[in-house]
Amino acid sequence: MPAAPAITHLVAGLWLLNVLIDTGGQLAFKAAAGDPHAGDGLARWKHMAARPWLWLGVGCYAIEFLVWIAFLSLIPLSEGVLLGSINIVAIMVAGRFLFGEKLTRLRVAGIVLVTLGVAIVGLGG
Amino acid sequence: MKRGYFYLFGFLLLMGFDTLAQVSFKYAGTQALPVAASLAWVLRVFGQPWVYGAVIGYIGAFFTWMSLLKHAPIGPAFAASHLEVVSVMLLSVWLFDEHLTAPRVLGAIAIIAGIVCLGLAESREHVAETGSAQA
Repeated sequence: MPAAPAITHLVAGLWLLNVLIDTGGQLAFKAAAGDPHAGDGLARWKHMAARPWLWLGVGCYAIEFLVWIAFLSLIPLSEGVLLGSINIVAIMVAGRFLFGEKLTRLRVAGIVLVTLGVAIVGLGG
Repeated sequence: MKRGYFYLFGFLLLMGFDTLAQVSFKYAGTQALPVAASLAWVLRVFGQPWVYGAVIGYIGAFFTWMSLLKHAPIGPAFAASHLEVVSVMLLSVWLFDEHLTAPRVLGAIAIIAGIVCLGLAESREHVAETGSAQA
């Protein structure tokens, strides 16, 4: 096997798209599930199905499925899954801004370490 | 002790489904090359069996995760649900002749350390939220 090809613009673009869509989907699911007027049981599902958030989340996941396949077909799998770890960070940061979730010191340490790891893999190959 | 085995089995099963999904994604993508923003590419993706391995992996992981969360502490569950990077990396050496280059190993160590921190953070938060009720 030849050495891994460098990260091209297409790979970088697919990676960025994956992070954006994954975060968008998670936030949409959070908005759907966190609606305090939704009720319980079947009524809750009906309430969610009648509003766009749930479907936005499902749509994001469907697109992400294809984006991720395209992304992985262009780079080694071991590199791809490591680079994909950035999604954890993106969701936590987005949750902080949109839902006011706390960023404790331990969380910040985790976010910094994961970001550092992704940067090492992305820059070093 | 029984509960310990339940978690261990559950986490390993979760890791297994996640790993199956990622390996299937890789096979599906490779067989559908070249990548293009076209219907032809989408049809190539869905025209071979591996993509369904990815679907099975996703569905299996989802239900395993939901069953685990009923009883398992959220912190370790969170960490375990993201540790498939280790199994996927090792498998890609064997299945795809990939190399564990120094940046990949270093990056993986940093990412795993980060995931462990996030898992610990979740545990503490959960204890803080439910602690008064349990006390």
